[in-house]
Amino acid sequence: MKRSHHLLAVVGVIALLLFPLGVGNPYYIHLLETIMIYAILLFGLDIVVGYTGQVSLGHAGLFGVGAYTAGVLVIKLGAPLLVALIAAIGVTAVFGAILALPALRVTGPYLAMVTLAFGTIVQILINEMDWLTNGPMGIKLEKPSLLGHKLDEREFFWLVAVLLVLSLIVVHRVLRSHLGRAFEALRGSPVASDCMGVSVYRYKVYAFVISAGFAGLAGSLYAYSEQYISPNSYNFELTVLFLLAVIMGGRKSRIGSMVGATIIVLLPKLLDDIETFRYVSVALAVLVIATTVFGIQKGRVTAKQMAVPVVGSIALAGLSFWLHTMTDWRLSIFGVIMLFVVYYLQDGIVGFVRSAPNLAKPKPEAQVAGASLAGGDAVATSAASGSSEILKADGVLMQFGGLKALNNVSLSIKRGTIHGLIGPNGSGKSTMMNVLTGIYQPTAGSVSFSGRSVVGCTSSDIALSGIARTFQNVQLFGEMTALQNVQVGLHHTFDSNLLDVAVHTPRYRRESKAAVDRAMGLLQFVGLADLTFEEARNLPYGKQRLLEIARALALDPQLLLLDEPAAGLTAPDIKELISFIRKIRDHGITVILIEHHMDVVMSMCDTVSVLDFGQKIAEGAPAAVQADEKVIEAYLGGTAA
Amino acid sequence: MQILTQLIFSGIALGMIYAVIAFGYQLTFATSDTLNFGQGEALMLGALVGLTLVNLGLNYWLMIPLVCLFGAFQGAVVERIGVRPAIKIKSEFGWIMSTIALGIIFKNVAENIWGRDDLKFPSPLPESPLHFLGANVLPMEVLVVVGAILMMLAVEFFNRKTIYGKAVVATFNDRDAAKLMGINTGLVITFSYALSSLTAGFAGVLIAPLTLTGATMGAVLGLKAFAVAIIGGLTSGMGIIVGGIILGIAETTTGFYLSTGYKDVPGLVLLLIVLAVRPQGIFGKSVIKKV
Amino acid sequence: MSADTKMLTITNLYAGYGKVQVLHGISIDVSKGKVVTLIGSNGAGKTTTMRAVSGMITPTAGEITLNGKRIEGMESYHIAKLGLAHSPEGRRVFATMTVTDNLTLGAFPRLTGSRPKGDVAGDLERALELFPRLKERRMQLAGTLSGGEQQMLAMARAVMLNPEVVLLDEPSMGLAPILVAEVFRIIERLKSEGVTMLLVEQFAAAALGVADYGYVLENGRISVHGPADKLRNDPSVKAAYLGGGTSH
Repeated sequence: MKRSHHLLAVVGVIALLLFPLGVGNPYYIHLLETIMIYAILLFGLDIVVGYTGQVSLGHAGLFGVGAYTAGVLVIKLGAPLLVALIAAIGVTAVFGAILALPALRVTGPYLAMVTLAFGTIVQILINEMDWLTNGPMGIKLEKPSLLGHKLDEREFFWLVAVLLVLSLIVVHRVLRSHLGRAFEALRGSPVASDCMGVSVYRYKVYAFVISAGFAGLAGSLYAYSEQYISPNSYNFELTVLFLLAVIMGGRKSRIGSMVGATIIVLLPKLLDDIETFRYVSVALAVLVIATTVFGIQKGRVTAKQMAVPVVGSIALAGLSFWLHTMTDWRLSIFGVIMLFVVYYLQDGIVGFVRSAPNLAKPKPEAQVAGASLAGGDAVATSAASGSSEILKADGVLMQFGGLKALNNVSLSIKRGTIHGLIGPNGSGKSTMMNVLTGIYQPTAGSVSFSGRSVVGCTSSDIALSGIARTFQNVQLFGEMTALQNVQVGLHHTFDSNLLDVAVHTPRYRRESKAAVDRAMGLLQFVGLADLTFEEARNLPYGKQRLLEIARALALDPQLLLLDEPAAGLTAPDIKELISFIRKIRDHGITVILIEHHMDVVMSMCDTVSVLDFGQKIAEGAPAAVQADEKVIEAYLGGTAA
Repeated sequence: MQILTQLIFSGIALGMIYAVIAFGYQLTFATSDTLNFGQGEALMLGALVGLTLVNLGLNYWLMIPLVCLFGAFQGAVVERIGVRPAIKIKSEFGWIMSTIALGIIFKNVAENIWGRDDLKFPSPLPESPLHFLGANVLPMEVLVVVGAILMMLAVEFFNRKTIYGKAVVATFNDRDAAKLMGINTGLVITFSYALSSLTAGFAGVLIAPLTLTGATMGAVLGLKAFAVAIIGGLTSGMGIIVGGIILGIAETTTGFYLSTGYKDVPGLVLLLIVLAVRPQGIFGKSVIKKV
Repeated sequence: MSADTKMLTITNLYAGYGKVQVLHGISIDVSKGKVVTLIGSNGAGKTTTMRAVSGMITPTAGEITLNGKRIEGMESYHIAKLGLAHSPEGRRVFATMTVTDNLTLGAFPRLTGSRPKGDVAGDLERALELFPRLKERRMQLAGTLSGGEQQMLAMARAVMLNPEVVLLDEPSMGLAPILVAEVFRIIERLKSEGVTMLLVEQFAAAALGVADYGYVLENGRISVHGPADKLRNDPSVKAAYLGGGTSH
């Protein structure tokens, strides 16, 4: 972290610890304690919602599991604090894994519904299994003892504060590590993620399990904090509140989680106190109007765009004066806030504050001042060992319903060559690519890579075994920088696990540095060194294509599949591309090239195979293929009708 | 044995309600790849509005078309506020969160207008049970099954025989190509949301006399109807009827033999299992995504 | 070009997808009753042109005029109501509906008051006469038709609009040569009935065989254009597709 950030964080922590000394009233201490506990849960929820981009409606259920694990252990077994906390984390993590089993199969609304079902089931089970949980009667707890001394309100506050800081550090480290990049990758482009060796399935599960662990910790602390837990607290309303907190505070931001926690704890209190609420709502309306006026003056927004927020905030203020109590309308207000946040405040409060005065997003700091490349360049030289035939596809049939996209296609790719694959639109070239990289399972036929069959293997397994690819429609991880994109390709170089990451063991530090060095080297290789910290989606199109190649090379492949790499490139870009591909081949990496730019194909390829209607109609040296009657007919059409 | 038959009949009636709500999910998902997380609340509003109209003296049968009109209006509102902006910015997260938000708002408004307690909905049919195959069947249960089937048949008729219905099916098949035909697909989506809430509201007034009517009646119903939509397969009409009946019977039997507290569990567990094992549902077709 | 009525005019059109600009200022004229073809290799921008005209994508710059009315940037359903029919790339028939229903939907604007109604039932029968294969399968679900039959269905469906201009996007794609021949015979027939068409094709030879005028699209720009029979023998056409021309 930057110096100034470090300083700010230290000041913040000190302020937090001094709070109960300065403010004596236990009500406020308890309030801040609740905020901290929610924040711990939100750190975990943000991993799922902010980073992997999925909606989870089950985190109240996981929260409940954590609370009840601690509660039951304390009541039934008299468990000490540490055991209760660790057990809560563990049990909730297991529940998270159980949730992930159906969850990983689906995305989007299905996932949301699955998690909702899960949360509902948990609540029902807690309610019904009263032999274990005391059912609707709930469980009464006392503050725990630490080292033989019973903690009072203040001391428990400090315990929670310490755990908050630890959670913050752990989450921060995880999200900055290769794990965090993996989570972001699977949101950015699941297909690319799989093809870079990061199994979407596996990492969705990790994300859930980690977030469940945090929910469990938060739940157990909540049990001690409230000193009474009952089943109906862990309901739909709470889970929606958690989601609201994450998106309102700001996704992918620890500060956002803390801001969000503060809002969802304070807002209901605020709504209960109608007097204060009236002041606050008027202040809010004024703020919105002021922002709108400034914004229109600066030309940043139009009156039409801001109409809804302005009218809405004035209406809210008016409503607060008309009604005697807002408590009954609490949920509606939450609902309206949610609608507002989803459409007008997509980056949350943190995002809004950052972008308003045009503050730049904090760039991931340059960890390396200059990559050290001890001789040669970053592209791994592929061993020349192995048979001369690196890939053999035999009689591949790919059928979609009645359509034969590939009809009995056989290819033999020689090691160390550049092999072109051409054909008119719809001839099956991309389908072949997808079969070779495991995105499609062929209806029939065999494909073997270095002697081993790849049919039936997952895309990430195939990627890890040495086949890398780029995509016809660029599939970069848009919101990640160029460097981070390549680092995802280097995911396979990490052996470090969660513990290594949390604690920053020497192994993790070593692997992390090596990955950065290597990634910088690869970016240098494709000439993108000065765009290292640019977000991938902001790169010019030609550079995006080169970045995809750098990322693919990070897999240390023996075989590189390039799907129309020259599409949309200008002539000078194409020249550059050709030289890169030649350099790649010179490292001993075999290349299969799908292209429409005939000059690219003819100048580079050693062999060219031509597909038409899913069948191979010609194969041979480029010049021979170019003159082949069948090929000319396939492209230009035969005699006129 | 008598009890079992009774449970089966009740289960079928319950299942048909799920099927009608699930039908609503299918309608919007088919045309817009979105669905209404507040579908249960649409049912609840239909039931409560219907109750108010009936308490004001309106005949049950005359009340039904009014509730349908209300439902259509409510659905259009959901689409306009919650779904259309999200489709425009291509945000899945957007419509999921906003339909959830609207559902919460509707429920809260309902709580404030009608109170938090459950209310009794007067049954339009005699409450004395009929005897059929040795079991007691409430006339209302028969009405539920008949009403649900009639509603789904009506929509099917509309889809197949009228040009506007065909336009809806075209939108479901291929939205871009439908636009090339001069079909305003945005309007089609609004219409499918209106229809979806209409059917939910209709289901609400059907089931209200059989169960407790209140602001909370929609939530779990919506979730379980989603389970039915998944079990049946989001694209198969037959599937949701079968799925609904399976779930309905599973619930009534669990509720009786185990405990009423657990009666919501089989549906939810079934949902999890189906999604884990066969995500396209029993009748659905698996989709191969093209890259 | 003579002073025929210009049904469709594209002027200086720029279009693309997000960051990728595909068309860099192309201009095409289609006169009433004529068949104009736009040919070029893959990735040249032919389908992008069609989509910009029918409203499936919004052009970045330039003008498109249909029968005197400016249509660039309009929604595709609005453009259809103005009389532009598009038989899209990949056919895109309504798979779960019958052949008859597909054709009926082609006349949607006529049946709902957006275009003069005319005799829809009669036109449907005439369409089936023109496409005998479809007539045999009138109650069959469109998704079960073969590629060639679907192509015919897409073309017939477009004609059902009673349009001012028909856009035919790669009608030969994915079809076996014998079906390609049949498709082009049908295009000839439509031409003889006076239908104004803009034909985008990968198969230059067939397209130039049926068209009156042709434009060659290379990397988003018109490289060559002229009367179709002149273009047929032009070596730069072949070079545009297969490379190996003297310019490379």
